[in-house]
Amino acid sequence: MSSHLDDATYHKQVAAIWRATIIIAVVTVFEVGLALSHYFFFYHHPKAIINVFMVLATLMKAFYIIAEFMHLKYEYRSFIIILTLPLIFLVWLIIALSVEGTFWLRLIQ
Amino acid sequence: MAELLDENVISEHITLPAPNNNEGGEDTPFKVSYGKTMMWFFLLSDAFTFTGFLIAYGAIRMSKTWWPDPNVVFAGMPFLHGVNVPLGLVSIMTTILILSSVFVVRAVIEGHRMNQKGVAFWLFLGILGGVAFLGCQAWEWSHLIHDGMTPFYNVYHAGPEGETIKLALAEKAKTPVSPGPPMFGGSFFGITGFHGLHVSIGVVMNIVALIKTLNGTYQRRGHYEMVEKFGLYWHFVDLVWVFVFLFFYLI
Repeated sequence: MSSHLDDATYHKQVAAIWRATIIIAVVTVFEVGLALSHYFFFYHHPKAIINVFMVLATLMKAFYIIAEFMHLKYEYRSFIIILTLPLIFLVWLIIALSVEGTFWLRLIQ
Repeated sequence: MAELLDENVISEHITLPAPNNNEGGEDTPFKVSYGKTMMWFFLLSDAFTFTGFLIAYGAIRMSKTWWPDPNVVFAGMPFLHGVNVPLGLVSIMTTILILSSVFVVRAVIEGHRMNQKGVAFWLFLGILGGVAFLGCQAWEWSHLIHDGMTPFYNVYHAGPEGETIKLALAEKAKTPVSPGPPMFGGSFFGITGFHGLHVSIGVVMNIVALIKTLNGTYQRRGHYEMVEKFGLYWHFVDLVWVFVFLFFYLI
């Protein structure tokens, strides 16, 4: 059985995977560091700004998992669009349930 | 007359191209095989299930005036009884699951090279990671259940200054507390449990792939696409965990 993948492409792919791994690891350490520094040093301050940073960091991790680990970055563009476009409905769901959640909070206050 | 009956010949000047033989559905319009495309679409639908759960959890959490602090609730460590390590165990779990995902990517790449031993080696490491993750989760669950947490009752209550106190400790110290939201337990056990179920299924899939790799089934078939399909599922489990980690432990 002949090899399907030449050596140069192989080394490039392996390097890309380890690069993505290091980025994800660094971002995770950053997130946990943020959460713990709030807990130990700024406990009585609001957490909202830190939360925004942590959500952005998680979205970055998600991008690297989907693009590199799941190899979606290297697929056809039309295939990428087919898989990501339906996620637009989630934007609506997040907005709708955020509004509803804050309304429930006002009801009990 | 026989020429006119041929459906490809419209007139003596115009002839349609001969039909190709794609009726069986072998065509791959995105250069992605049928199996991989279908795995992607399943994962898209599964992503909607998980985001539905997570967004509902977010709405419930937003509707509460108080929510237990994850740094207090998730501070237990195996083998370190009574020592508080905020987010310690869950950081280890995240590392294990991400590394396991990386190992499976390495198995997929070795599959492209038809390197049977390489695929088996990395798949084995990936399975070890999955099993280790499930072990940590089982410990965390049993720890919470031992404390008295159920899907319908939350043992973490709000202290006088909004701090998070376990009910047993508050009773011992005679601290006045107001009850914490019961949905804390419900959403935690529900969503991490559903994720854990996915991890368990993924581990079984990877074990099947490992056995078939060792038997040489994929080597004889000429490609390791099944490892790729199971790999996609395994990375999705990792992807979901990244969000569960954010919404349950960090925020």
